[in-house]
Amino acid sequence: MKRLSLVMVFCFLAGLFTTPLFAADNFELSIPLPLTGGQAKFGEMEKKSYEIAAEEINAAGGIKGKKVVLSFEDSQGKPEISRAIAEKLIDVKKQPLIVGDYSSSSSKAIAAVAEERKTPYLVVTGAADDITQQNYKYVFRLNPSTAYYSSGLMSFMNEVVKPKTIAILYESSDFGTSGAKDMETQAAKVGMKVLVSEKYEKGAVDFKPILSKVKAAQPDVIYMVSYVMDASLLMKQIKELRIDTKLFAGGAAGFAIPEFIDNAKDAAEYVVTSSLWCTMATYPGAKEYGEKYKKLYGDFPSYHGAEAYSALYIVKDVLTRAKSWTPEDIRTAMKATDMMTAFGPIKFEDRDGYQNQNFMDTLVLQVINGEHHCIWPEKYASKKYMYPIPKWRDRK
Amino acid sequence: MKRYLPLIILAILAVLPVIGLSTYMMHILILVIMWSVIGMSWNLLGGYCGQVSFGHAAYFGVGAYTAGVLYSKFDLSPWWGLPLCVVVVALFSLVLGFIVLRLRGPFFALATLASGEVMRITAENWVDFTGGTMGILIQRRTWVEKTWYFYIILIIAALTFFMIKKLVESKLGYYFVAIREDQDAAESLGINTTLYKTIALCISGVITGIAGAFYTNYMGYIDPHVVFALHDISIITIMIVMVGGVATFWGPYVGALIMVLLAEYIRSIPGLGAAHQTFFGILLIVIIIFLPNGIVGDFQKLKRLVGLRRASG
Repeated sequence: MKRLSLVMVFCFLAGLFTTPLFAADNFELSIPLPLTGGQAKFGEMEKKSYEIAAEEINAAGGIKGKKVVLSFEDSQGKPEISRAIAEKLIDVKKQPLIVGDYSSSSSKAIAAVAEERKTPYLVVTGAADDITQQNYKYVFRLNPSTAYYSSGLMSFMNEVVKPKTIAILYESSDFGTSGAKDMETQAAKVGMKVLVSEKYEKGAVDFKPILSKVKAAQPDVIYMVSYVMDASLLMKQIKELRIDTKLFAGGAAGFAIPEFIDNAKDAAEYVVTSSLWCTMATYPGAKEYGEKYKKLYGDFPSYHGAEAYSALYIVKDVLTRAKSWTPEDIRTAMKATDMMTAFGPIKFEDRDGYQNQNFMDTLVLQVINGEHHCIWPEKYASKKYMYPIPKWRDRK
Repeated sequence: MKRYLPLIILAILAVLPVIGLSTYMMHILILVIMWSVIGMSWNLLGGYCGQVSFGHAAYFGVGAYTAGVLYSKFDLSPWWGLPLCVVVVALFSLVLGFIVLRLRGPFFALATLASGEVMRITAENWVDFTGGTMGILIQRRTWVEKTWYFYIILIIAALTFFMIKKLVESKLGYYFVAIREDQDAAESLGINTTLYKTIALCISGVITGIAGAFYTNYMGYIDPHVVFALHDISIITIMIVMVGGVATFWGPYVGALIMVLLAEYIRSIPGLGAAHQTFFGILLIVIIIFLPNGIVGDFQKLKRLVGLRRASG
């Protein structure tokens, strides 16, 4: 025991004092991410995506000749630790800009520090609307905020489906509730009547009571906000009950990932869903990134990964254009960003009450022949949408 | 010498900001002191009075939300939350105590655990008042510099320390210990156990609430998942006291130092990556197995262990 504890103490001290020595022509970037805890799944995916991007950038000669060296700090999804990391990066490591973290609450904690210390901060995934509504000068966000998540789907419905009535089903979580509330207000805006709006407990096994209600109401569209198991079960039971509508729509999450099709099989056919991104999108590099990720880690990444991957390219672009690598010049360069990434076009604008926010079209995916295809907006479509959809009894 | 130890430590801490630490170190120090305040308050209820609470996040959150709601709904400085939460949390603890203090042992622990979760779900759904899961964001924090935050939390910690010391050494403290040792025996001796348990709960809750209100001011952002967190607040509080030493004056300080400062150092070791949690977990297990009364509680044992090593080495 004594020896063991001695060894442990030694290891600990050795760990503390041996900071690796890098050559001077490296650009070191530390990125806060939740690598442990409940959000670790997304943190891991982002970490892998940052690494893929760094490798590509280094292979192409780095940033202004400097090699990008990434390191990751585990924020555990706790705002006070995210803040500690931000303080450390600014104060101890003298990093001229901060990139990353996952959740909205951690992003808010970092944003406040970044603004106070006049260091540019690029928000990568934090989606709460108010992060870029605080008149912050140094906070930039590349992902659309939650208020815009369903905008693509709405425009698809308005221009193609033109429904008069809608039924909304959602799981009882913040994600489900906010998605459903958002759809209700959007529907009211275009004069669509909400016939049914039902909440269900996450992980339910029998949706038939709710679905019978929906069938009786005969809506034009059924909109569902669910995670993966519920999403596929809902579609299977809709098929069993032969509920025919003009459109079955999902609000991202469970409907937008490949597991949905694997689980729901043919019931998934023709279902549309909103999404921020997909590997089928026609953005330059999207497909290559998606396939590289799949080759390395066995699965396609979701939009979180694409956001992280593109974030590093934005950093590269900004640092290449910046007059010097001081926070002030980096901020100026960041503000002038206008580029295309694998995640889509990036431009930081001040409008609609937001500052330094990247506005972009959210996509609509449709399951066609057992695969997700991007169908809307048409300029990014990888396949023409299938509409009207056949009734259940006409399907093979 | 021993008598003046608290004052000496206080004096050393008070000059720390003057020597110019980086803001990163200051942030960690502020967190250490804030956690030791919460640890001390838990120690009063759990350590001295023997009522093991798994729901201190409830008080922390109510304190934090008192400050937050003052800012978001009444346009007042969230600093008013510090004095106001004394009243709010005291009332809240009375109501809660009325329910949970009827229960004993594991049932009390479970009821407190539930109370924390109930508060979180309430805060999530009472959107008009708390802002729901969007939380409350304070647009401009009072100071960019950390010095003032440091002194404020230091004063809170010092006052808490001396108050709890006085309290535990008074008659009240003996009542608490009597309740912890044997509640029925204490009752048969004429101690109104319900009353004294309620007093302990109220004081403990209020101190935690003040720490919560400080958190709102310092961090500038709260939401139900952050301040009513079961693991990140309630369980960490217990860990701090367990590691430091239950029913000791210095335990919560040592515990907070380990749980925040040491955790941060281990997290920062390059190359350890996501394994730092495992490493830290093993360290905690070792401490709990070999020093079941915590570092302060088993200090003599610890000294002996270290002494042995010196003798043999």
